[in-house]
Amino acid sequence: MPTQAFSEIARVDARDKVLGRAQYGADVKKPGMLYAMLVPATIAKGKVSALDVAPAMETPGVVQVLGIGDFPALRAEISYRGQPTALVVAETVEAAIEGAEAVTAVYETAPYIPLMTSPGAQRVDAEGFNAGDVDRAFQNAATIVEGIFETPTQHHNAMELFGTVAEWTDGRLTVYEGCQNLDAVKAALMKAFELSLDQIAVKSEQVGGGFGQKSPPKMQTFLVAHAARLIRRPVKLVTPRGQLFHIANYRPRSVHTIRLAASAEGRLQAIIYDVVQENIPDGGFRSTGYHEDIARLYAIENFRATAGDIHIDRQMPRHTRGTHPFPAGFALESVIDEMAYKLGKDPVELRLEHEAKNDIIAGQPLSPHFLNDCLREGASRFGWSRRLPEPGSMRLADGTLVGLGVACGIFGASMSASEATLRVRADGTTRMISSGHEMGQGILTAIANVIIQGLDINPDRLEVLLGDTTLGPQLATVGERGTASCVPTAAKAVEALRARFAELAGANPPAGNLHQQLARLKRPYIEVKVSELAPGQDASAIEAYRTGGRAGTGPDYPGFTSMSYIAQFVEIHIDATTRRIRMPRAVSIADVGRVVSPRTAKSQMYGGVVWGFSTALREESEVDPRFAGYLNDDLADYVMAVNADIGEVDVGLIDKPDPRINSVGVKGMGELVMLGTAPAIANAIYHATGKRLRKLPIRINDVL
Amino acid sequence: MEDERSETTQTCGVTRRVVLASGAGAAAASILPLEQRAQAQQQFARAETGQTVQVSANVNGRPVILEIDSRASLLDLLRERRELTGTKKGCDHGQCGACTVHLDGRPVSSCLTLAAKIDGRQVTTIEGLAEGADLHPMQQAFIDNDALQCGYCTPGQIMSAVACVTGGHATSPDAIREFMSGNICRCGAYVGILAAVQQAAKVMEG
Amino acid sequence: MRALSYTVAPSAEAAVARFAAAQGSARYIAGGTNLYDLMKLGIEHPAHLIDVSRIDGMDAIETDGDILRFGGRALMTDVAYTPVVRDQYPVLSESLLKAASQQLRNMATVGGNLLQRTRCMYFRNGAGSTSMVGVYPCNKREPGSGCSAIGGLDRTHAVLGTSEACTAVAPGDWPVALMAMDATIEMLGPEGPRNLPIAEFYRLPGDTPHREFNLHPGELVTAITVRKTPAGRASTYHKIRDRESYAFALASAAVALEMDGATVRTARIALGGVATTPWRSRAAEAIVTGSPLTPELALRAGRAAFADARGGQHNAFKIELGARVIADALIIAAERRA
Repeated sequence: MPTQAFSEIARVDARDKVLGRAQYGADVKKPGMLYAMLVPATIAKGKVSALDVAPAMETPGVVQVLGIGDFPALRAEISYRGQPTALVVAETVEAAIEGAEAVTAVYETAPYIPLMTSPGAQRVDAEGFNAGDVDRAFQNAATIVEGIFETPTQHHNAMELFGTVAEWTDGRLTVYEGCQNLDAVKAALMKAFELSLDQIAVKSEQVGGGFGQKSPPKMQTFLVAHAARLIRRPVKLVTPRGQLFHIANYRPRSVHTIRLAASAEGRLQAIIYDVVQENIPDGGFRSTGYHEDIARLYAIENFRATAGDIHIDRQMPRHTRGTHPFPAGFALESVIDEMAYKLGKDPVELRLEHEAKNDIIAGQPLSPHFLNDCLREGASRFGWSRRLPEPGSMRLADGTLVGLGVACGIFGASMSASEATLRVRADGTTRMISSGHEMGQGILTAIANVIIQGLDINPDRLEVLLGDTTLGPQLATVGERGTASCVPTAAKAVEALRARFAELAGANPPAGNLHQQLARLKRPYIEVKVSELAPGQDASAIEAYRTGGRAGTGPDYPGFTSMSYIAQFVEIHIDATTRRIRMPRAVSIADVGRVVSPRTAKSQMYGGVVWGFSTALREESEVDPRFAGYLNDDLADYVMAVNADIGEVDVGLIDKPDPRINSVGVKGMGELVMLGTAPAIANAIYHATGKRLRKLPIRINDVL
Repeated sequence: MEDERSETTQTCGVTRRVVLASGAGAAAASILPLEQRAQAQQQFARAETGQTVQVSANVNGRPVILEIDSRASLLDLLRERRELTGTKKGCDHGQCGACTVHLDGRPVSSCLTLAAKIDGRQVTTIEGLAEGADLHPMQQAFIDNDALQCGYCTPGQIMSAVACVTGGHATSPDAIREFMSGNICRCGAYVGILAAVQQAAKVMEG
Repeated sequence: MRALSYTVAPSAEAAVARFAAAQGSARYIAGGTNLYDLMKLGIEHPAHLIDVSRIDGMDAIETDGDILRFGGRALMTDVAYTPVVRDQYPVLSESLLKAASQQLRNMATVGGNLLQRTRCMYFRNGAGSTSMVGVYPCNKREPGSGCSAIGGLDRTHAVLGTSEACTAVAPGDWPVALMAMDATIEMLGPEGPRNLPIAEFYRLPGDTPHREFNLHPGELVTAITVRKTPAGRASTYHKIRDRESYAFALASAAVALEMDGATVRTARIALGGVATTPWRSRAAEAIVTGSPLTPELALRAGRAAFADARGGQHNAFKIELGARVIADALIIAAERRA
């Protein structure tokens, strides 16, 4: 039963955040706490033959040094530059750093392959995909467009560093750190330290940005916990940004070869797509994921995909905001644009004409969706009709080149089973125990809004709790399924609580709000505990949710597939002389189903445009193959968008529920919002200059 | 307290040795008997390291006098020597703005400010901006315009934003964007931040 | 970072005396935005820090006489917003405002900024700090170890003034503007005070890229002076970078003109982001001097500045970009003539 539109509330944790009171992992302070620092390996591959920790031990203030062999994670075999070889623990941050700098190592180096372009690098093919009759479609094609597209290595670079505080009290371990998947950390710590459920707590009250980098368990968590146990004092480690570039995961460089065929009537008929990416053996980021979402974007029935990895000697690449559909979508949306020019069609029109009804991957219908509404609304707000189609035809009076570009994005609307406990008290308070992680996406606000709009309670005294393993299972907040999973559960809790109250109050409930009613009924509180499943799931999903198993599913559900959609419009200006590229204006419209928290959802949209801009025009992690590692491992040299980069941005949400995915009709948006901007920018640059740029990031030297 | 400090120093005096790859690690503190360790934990005197320097300053209207490692940054003074964790570490090299505080009324990057340099001066952090229960107009404007997401850069953004208005730089959208560009927001709340500065400027300039 | 002592110098003379007493193990610290950063990176290891940021009077900004005189510890912010500087010498004001974030401008001093060291990533990121360890050879950091930028990722590196030993770019903006304005550096050292034209202050890398400044041991920059000139008004600092703010220059130009109507009577042109030192281009100046300024002439002047430029693997675009930045800067400056 999709709900009515939600009205807007302020972000529930905004007050704490503007006061500096919001608690992030490294904000925790414990009596007697010590400080740790990691020592990174200086070689790309090989072995530590000797590690001299004595100078660190002699450093005043140093309390403990863990070296090779002291903990399983501190291995002599080095498989990437920056791999931790030691952990130095000291009375102060300054002494820990001094100690870490004093550790020296002797290495046996081994040959390594730092890049997909390095000599000896070999492709390992993965499983492909085929739908329809691609060869025949190409034989019959009237127009073919093709290109090779490349997106670079990029790091998430959430503003919050990896901060870990570990404390042991009577054999019980408590860890505080920014995290997107507490249950995975908890399970791994239980295994590593042989702990029972009541001996472990992992807390992540607020996450200072995740973007995918904080979802796998971090090696540092185990090292810090181990050190804290040995020394019997709490230990804090805040890993420096430069080290994070080398040990945290990242978006791998990928190359996409794509061919698009159209019929004489201008129908898009077929795609042949190949992708190859940098990866490590048994890496956690599949090359087979690239084609899946983009193959569902338009009604193009014949699709052949091949994929492969090139193994490199670096740390593991993983999901990064926008994940597979970002690089793949850059390729697809660029060739769609090019095809529009070849067919003499408006690129918005061409897309409107190819609205997808079916999911060719799962071979079933798509849930009703509103990509075309996004395109029409965006075109209208942007003033797309003023665009002159000819490249290089629009200029400002001072000679500035003007380009207008459009592109779309798509992301799977996955979901997870989850539980929630809602308690309303006669004393005026309400407490919701939910599941997941607040990373700024606004999950707390969305859950709160469901409760506030569903129950007559005191909104100022509503507390939503999550991000703490002592509360119960905590959903991995990844792949934009957090809010989409917790909100339907919250809605069910609200319904259950209303039913319970009705039962309690009978035919003539007393007057007042829920708290007052309870007081008049002489009930200190009522509480409900509910669980909710994703479509097609059975009770085993809840069991999986409770035990840290796979509770997630989608975007293909029994009988239908559900996706989120976005349309991006950008205006690009290029200085006549220096060719400086700017984006004075962008319009972004999304279909994310029912919008549960309008204010925080809009903020996600704004942020997505900034991410898209930054990935398109700014960011690249640079590796010098002679040394491996990342040369630009700081926030000055890894260039991310600043305030002056971002012009006027107008965002909108279609706010129509997906009638099939869940009771609220809500789909995710965290990944989606950054999709489409990069190809829209590249398309706008083509429109401004006539130059088709197929490699990101696009920089001034590309248009000079 | 003094006793504990000298103890720590003593326990560090282990003999120099080379630990082979297969070797075991070295633990200085584990030499301490258990009871003493428990005691140390309870007392929790802050042991400073390096060469220390005395700093006497005013932080958020309160006098702060401490002996601190002369290498320490103002950021690590606030976060690790005082309970002022509202100020954040994002890069530790003056490249992100998350650690922005006011020193004698002007925004500075506390990560690149030696703690020793604040002697005799006034520091205001995000915790010192509101007056009692009343938010600073800039804090209210950040809430009203949802000028934040994860909130990690927010304290630094607000400290810069206040100076943007008080310094007379909130004269146009572009001037605000330029002034606020020393504060990176990875969530990308720049549109809201601009709107917040504009709103607060009206209130602050009355 | 190793343990160190920190003292505040009450006067320039006291600072110089303390420096001498430390026998090479001391550094002056003012804002610390560069030195403290380099200490964190493990590139600088002073045992003693002498804080010169509280020296009485050394922050004075004097604009009354024939010269502009900026005390060595005057903050970048304060100089940039000094009315005379802002209104009559936009090249100076803009170079400071575009040099750093507002936070850093409130910390960094105009004297210290002259000594800012290169942003070459091979120089900064391989020194043995906890962020990354001694991986990249660098002649500037470790004389004789080699230059990793040559043949490496050199997109941000210099195309002018390079040597076989080093192609690192001089990072500053303010020194470029001062170069165009023929500033003089006032110093105090163990041998007493000394003045040096800024043109003689910076050293080309040659075989000794680790020696960047013509500064004697223990010398402290006490002031910078600029002779007043009508060229200040028709001036600009134009800077192109990889983002719109808070970034070092890919190419920049400081231009100051004296005009007779549309004709250029005198021109001062200096470049940043493209050379191993702040770079004055007499060749570009000669092209525009005495002629009516047109976009074509401006671009010709820009190209002349790069006649001897040499690109590496990824930075050859700076030759064309730099020329165009000069061209735009000339037009902007000329439009500001009274």
